[in-house]
Parts: sequence; structure tokens; C-alpha cells
Amino acid sequence: MIGKDKIIEILKKAVSRSKADQTEILVMGGKSYLTGFANNYIHRNVGNEDYTINIRLAFGKRIGSATVHGFSEEIIEKALKDAELIAENQKENPDFVSFAKPSKEVRQFDEKALYSENTANCDAECRAKIAKEVVDASKKLGLNSSGTVETETDEIAIVNSLGVEKYCVRTVASIKNIAMAADSSGYSKSTAVDITKINVEEIIKESTDLALSGRGPISIEPGKYEVILTPYAVAEFISHILYLSLNARAVNEGSSFLIGNFGKRILGDNITMYDDGLSEETIPLPFDFEGVDKKRVVFFENGVAKDVVYDTLTAYKEGRESTGHSLPQPSPYSPYPMNFVIEGGNSSPEEMISNVKRGLFVQRFWYTNPMDPKNAVITGMTRDGLFLIENGKITKPVMNMRFTESVISALNNVIELSKTKKIIYDMASVTVPYLRVKDFTFTGKTEF
Amino acid sequence: MRDIIESALLSAKRAGATYADVRILEREVEEISTKNGSVDALKRSFTKGLGVRVIANGAWGFASSFRLTADEAEKVAEEAVLIAKASSLTKIEDVSLAEVEIFQDTVHQKVEIDPFSVPISEKISVLLESDKIMNIPGVIVRKGNMYFSKEWKTFASTEGAYIEQERIVSGAGISAIATNGKELQIRSYPSSFGGDYQRKGFELVKSADFLKNAERVAKEAVALLSAKPCPSGIMDIVLGGSQLALQVHESAGHPTELDRVLGEEASFAGMSFLTPDKLGKFRYGSDIVNITADATIPEALGGFAYDDEGVKAKRIYLVKNGIFVGYLNSRETAKKLKLEPMGAMRAQSWSFMPIIRMTSINLEPGDKTLDELIAGIDRGIYMDTNKSWSIDQNRLNFQFGTEIGWEIKNGKIQDMVKNPTYTGITYEFWRSCDGIANKDFWHVWGVPNCGKGEPQQVMQVSHGVSPARFRNVKVGVLK
Repeated sequence: MIGKDKIIEILKKAVSRSKADQTEILVMGGKSYLTGFANNYIHRNVGNEDYTINIRLAFGKRIGSATVHGFSEEIIEKALKDAELIAENQKENPDFVSFAKPSKEVRQFDEKALYSENTANCDAECRAKIAKEVVDASKKLGLNSSGTVETETDEIAIVNSLGVEKYCVRTVASIKNIAMAADSSGYSKSTAVDITKINVEEIIKESTDLALSGRGPISIEPGKYEVILTPYAVAEFISHILYLSLNARAVNEGSSFLIGNFGKRILGDNITMYDDGLSEETIPLPFDFEGVDKKRVVFFENGVAKDVVYDTLTAYKEGRESTGHSLPQPSPYSPYPMNFVIEGGNSSPEEMISNVKRGLFVQRFWYTNPMDPKNAVITGMTRDGLFLIENGKITKPVMNMRFTESVISALNNVIELSKTKKIIYDMASVTVPYLRVKDFTFTGKTEF
Repeated sequence: MRDIIESALLSAKRAGATYADVRILEREVEEISTKNGSVDALKRSFTKGLGVRVIANGAWGFASSFRLTADEAEKVAEEAVLIAKASSLTKIEDVSLAEVEIFQDTVHQKVEIDPFSVPISEKISVLLESDKIMNIPGVIVRKGNMYFSKEWKTFASTEGAYIEQERIVSGAGISAIATNGKELQIRSYPSSFGGDYQRKGFELVKSADFLKNAERVAKEAVALLSAKPCPSGIMDIVLGGSQLALQVHESAGHPTELDRVLGEEASFAGMSFLTPDKLGKFRYGSDIVNITADATIPEALGGFAYDDEGVKAKRIYLVKNGIFVGYLNSRETAKKLKLEPMGAMRAQSWSFMPIIRMTSINLEPGDKTLDELIAGIDRGIYMDTNKSWSIDQNRLNFQFGTEIGWEIKNGKIQDMVKNPTYTGITYEFWRSCDGIANKDFWHVWGVPNCGKGEPQQVMQVSHGVSPARFRNVKVGVLK
């Protein structure tokens, strides 16, 4: 780690050297490690140390950007010169108002929630031992395991010429297993700030139970089914609306289904969803990549469309405050909800299954993509655990199927939500419950 | 440079590595994107660093750093060996590499116009001129983008390899999104998701002739809003080149990656239906389907002189006369199946360990013209330009959506249709191929964003294709 004092000092010095009207410097980086296993042994084991420095300069409304890897005064100097050259050749961006101004209100947040020594100090041997625990358990059951043990320790710092000065250091750890038999597989993954808070035994149990009970799947015909979607399946299905619908850029570009619907109930009244970077229900991040403190943004409250997330470009243009949801700029995906939550209900997953007369239990979706962005129609496959539910009980494993379904329709058809929620993390944090959804549309099937 | 490399290799050996290689990469990138009449983003990126891959205690280890000094190289190599020793905790058998010819070589890339010599203002002006032409009623978002990169990579190994390669890439595209408030329609040129990419200089942009195509792109986006929906049913289809490139990518490229086949990608991307027992026997497609992996095609985005294991670029058949006959492989996976290494190992950057990647995966040209393909259809759809894609983890059940389609009736192109989709099972689909357009229609499409691996790596690959005809395909999922 380079450390807060050194990073801030170097960034402030660089900002003071800049000739631009406004200057913003973002540093992100640190150490990341991944121990990957397949066929019950570690086949890939990698480590990396890298820092990315993003510089944005504004000369009036002309913006130049440069990115360099590494961390030294010399490399920042090179990036400043590159950004100046770029800005000189740039046209004015009429939408640009200003880089981030210091936040007026800062929500209280204990930065200790971001960092764990246990994760930062988990070395190659520590990761290999976790991998060994997983593969040994799979071997004992006659299963084949594939998965990962990942840790990252990142420093994030932003300094700009308007007085923004932010720094944090965060850790994230994930452990994943896919247990496989000849004709079945089971998936489990958990993510936490502190690697020792991840229950490896639970990961082994969830993945191996599914693989063992999934053997000998039957083929059933596509059509409409009532489904129990686990948090893995819910996250994969709905995460497309994070970039297609729930941000100001999507509203401006016409792809969001919230356009014309703010204040209207367009989802089921049991659906409340929001983004909260400070919530410990997610992998927290207290400020965005422009240095704006994260605000809690409610997208839907009891099905009524409320708001979307903003970065400075989209917010200042409308004369409002950024909600603190910028990605590293420039980015075609910014603003973006990084800490998304769907509120849970009152049921347990077991109760939800017991309420299904005939339907499907879906552990996971895979390779999902939008077919119709405006109506949030998504297609994808089931994976690593699909089961028939009959009269309230899981009865038979089923071969994988393709679904094609609108997120809007599905979130109007939710009959039950679980109290339990799970953090699904892949760059961004999505925290969601189990959902029981009626009339979910499957449009095809495959051979396994 | 040599002192850093020697330091890494010596240090790895001293720490106990039985094999080590080091890659040093330096890359400069310039990206421009425009939106609705102004420059949305203009950015230059620069990266350099080294990655060291080792075998120690019979297992793999990899470490990397942005600090390019001999001292740091020593530390990185030591860390890679420590990581490899930890890997050996679960070892079943020692990693073993197939023998390959060892090269010392320096390879430069020739381009007509160095893209970094062209003023940024000239590049911006091409995009903004196109933007202006696309600004017609109904179009809500006009976008344009350009990408240029130049890299210098050095690969050296404890076996004596020392290879330096230059790589210059250019890419560009435009798109128009139209809306009537109820739906969105998009048209792109020359392809979707950023356009076309090749190992060329600025001549790529000049030859694309954006100004000539911008009006058509915008008009088609608007026309799609009032076009009739694509009909549903079982019918014949002709796929245009840019859509067929993605079909080849998903249903031929990925399933022939031998690391996937052997389960090494099972925890992320999945596996493959093309298992080793099918090699040389399985009917993948009809007799006319020939698919090659060819890293030697000049200017193809998936091409290179040597891969990231120092294996010289080759052309091999993956599918010959419809039979599945080859894999994309690495030295390690080739040895497992007693195959010849064909050079498909690449890493996104210095900070990643190489994995098996597509090179240029091509559907070899047939003998028809596009008119002949269409003339042979009583009722069907001509579809082009990918809009949506999805395929199962064994690469069997796929579903694609395209930006645009046209009905074919009695051998003639008729009305435009919107939201075309088609779905099928990979081998059934390729077995139904009964016509491929000839070499005059063949183009190598660059795909700059192929994701694979953990940590995920984005790779530049390509696909040479000409339009082709498929019989009795399930068309239309969206109502």
C-alpha cells in the first residue's frame, strides 16, 4: 500500500501544477490475487500489483482525459501532459458544467467497515488452504470442483481543484465453488470485506447438495412456470436494469422504462429497490469516482418509480446534485448503481417452495442479455441447479432451459420475497432476496 | 530491458522454478467517442509492466508488477514461485509442456498511416460530420467512436525464447438510435458494439467511408420503428457477415477452446459439447462447412506473429468438410491430448497470465453469390448486425437478435422487419447450412471485446466470414 498521506500529497501537488481551469485526479489500485481451481486442483494462481491514474482536465468546456498505470510523480506528469494535449484538440462539450464540488452534506460512515486485515494478509498459502478444503470435500463426495478464492486490497483517492479530497482503502474477498457430477452441477459463492466472515462449509454444502440432487435430470417443455429464483438468479436477471434503466444517462438516451413513469406505480407494490453505498447490506463504498459522497437513492418504493442515480455531468446539467454514482470518467456506463438492494419480505425460502403447486426452482441464470432494452426483456439460460417443484416439494432435477422475460413483467408478478438477502458481487454489489414469481417465460431448452 | 528479463528468469530459477517466462508490455491507446454533436470522451491511456509465469513444484504461479526495474523483476519472480508452491498443495500431476520450436525474433507491423500521426482534430471531424448527417427526425442518440493502439511486447523464457513484437490496431464505428417513445431501434455501421477493428493504421477509417453510410444508418434506424415485427416460425435464413461473425465466435470459437473442454473454465465461462471423444468423428456441420483458426491472416485483429508462449502463428482446421477436427490449444493442453501446439495462448496485458484465446476463427468461403443464397429461399428472413446474444455454458442452445432483417419471399428480398431473432442448437444449425457466399463477399470482422477467464480478460479476436444460408431455423421469440 502507498498510504493516504503520500497519495494525497502527490495528487495535490499535481493538481497545483496543472494549467487547466479545473483538474481532477483519480487513483485506484493495489494488490489483487486469484487462486483458481478446476478438476479438483489449483490450475491458475495469480497475483498483481497495479495502480491506475485517471486525469481529467477542463479548459472551459473542453475536457481532456488521460490514464496511466503505475504511481510516481513522473508518471502523473506524463498523464497531465497527455491530457493537456488532448484537451487542446478537443471541442467544447455543451453539457459540461463542472467537476465535482465538495459535498454539502456528508453522511456518517465508519471507514473500518471497508477494510479487513484478514483479507489483506491472506497470502498464497492461505488461499490455497481454502481451495484445498473445498476440493477435498468435493472429492470425498465423488464430485469435481471448480472455483476461485479471490482477495483484493484497493486504495481509491480523488483530489480535484475545487476542493474535493477523498481517500479510502478497501478489501473484498470472494470464494466460489461449482461442484459437478457427470450430468449435474451446483453453484455457491459468497463475498465479504473480511475473508474470515465467509462460511466455507456453507459454500461446500450448497454447491455439493445441488450437484448430488441434480443427477439424472429430466427434460421438460418450455412455457410459463411459477419460479423460485435464488438471489444468484435474481441478481443475474435484474442487473441489466442497472445500466439500461436506473440511471440518468439511460433516461436521457431513451432506454429507461422509467421515462414518463416517475410517480407512477409500474411494478408490484411489494417491490422496493434502492442504492445505498453506505449500507453494510452491500460491499460498501462511501464516495464515487468523482469524489462525491454516496447518497441513498430510492428507485422504486412499493412499486412506484421514484428516482435514478446521477453523476456530475448528468446532475449539473439538470441543476441538481450528483447522487455520487459516477464511474471512473469518461465512461459510457456512468452513472451506475454500485450498491443495489431489493428489500426483502417475510418468508423463508423453504416456505416459498412449499407454496408452489407446480413450478421450477432456479439456482442461477447464465449468459443473460437484453433482447429489448426499453422493455427490459432479457434472455438467458439456467445453470448449476434447476429443479421441478410439485405440491410444495422439490421433486426432480431438470435439464437447463432458456428464458426470455421482461424484468418489468416479472417484478409485477412477484408473489413472495424472502426475508434473507444475499450480496452478489461482481465489480458492483447487488443485494437481493429469493423471489417467487408467477408466469415466468421459458422459451427453449438444451441437452444437459 | 534485457537486464530486467534476465533478472526475472534467473530469480525464478534460483527460487526453484523448473520453467519460467516473462512478458514485458508497453501499450498506448487513444479513444474518442462522440454523442449527439459533441465529443463525449477523448482519452489517452498508457500502460507498461511485466508478468512472470513459472512452474515450480510441478504447479503454475504468476505474478506481475507495474514497476519495471531489475530489482522488482526479481521480487515478482520470487512471488510467482511462492504462489506456484502454494498451488502444489492440491496437485494431482505435474504440469508438463509440449515441446515447441524456440524462436528469437523481432517483428514490426507495417501500416499505411500511423494512427498516432493523424491529428486528433481530423479524427474528431470524421465522427462529428457523420453525427451531423445522422441528425434526422426520430433519431434520439447519435454515437461515433474510434480506437487506436500501439504496443511493443517482449517475451522471453528459460528455454531461450526472446521475441519482440509490435502491434498496431485501429477501430471505428457509428450508430443511430431512434425512438417513437414506445420502443428503441438501433442501426450501426460497419458493425455493432464499436464498429470494425483490424491490425491496420488510420487507413481503416478512411476506407470505411462513414460519411457515405451515415445517412443510411440513421434512416434505417427510423424506418425500423414502423417496420413490421419479424414473423415467428420455422423458416430459412440468410445471415449477413457481421452477424455470422458472432455466430462463429460463440458456436465455433468458444467450444473449440481446449482449456474449456478440459474443465479449466468451468467455474466461469463453462465447458463445451465438443469433448475429446468427438475429435475427428463428430459431424459439426454440413459438408460445406469449413472452419479454420488462422493467426497468420495479415491485418486480422485475431492475428499475430507469436502467441504469449512463444509459439509461432499457424493456420489449422477446426472443422473440415463438416467434421470437427481441431482445437485451439496451449502447450500444456496440447500435451495432455498429444496434439501439436497451434499457438492460441494470449494475455490481455502484462498483468494477466495467458489463457487459450481465439485467433482469427473463420468460416471459409463457399461458391455462391448473395443473390443466389436469397434466390434459393421461398419464405425466410435475411438478418444482419448483432443486437443481442446468449448461449448456454456448453455452447449448444443459442439465441441471437439482430438490428435489422428483411423478409425473403419467392427468392426475393421484400419488406424490412424489426427485432429479428433466431434460436437453435449449435450442431443442428451448422448442419442446416446449405450455402456460403464466395470469397468476394468474405470479410474478416474484428471483435475487440471477447471476455473470458478469471480474472476476466478482454481479448481482440476476429472472424473471416461471408454470408451463409441456413434451413429450417426457429425464428422469432419476441412478440
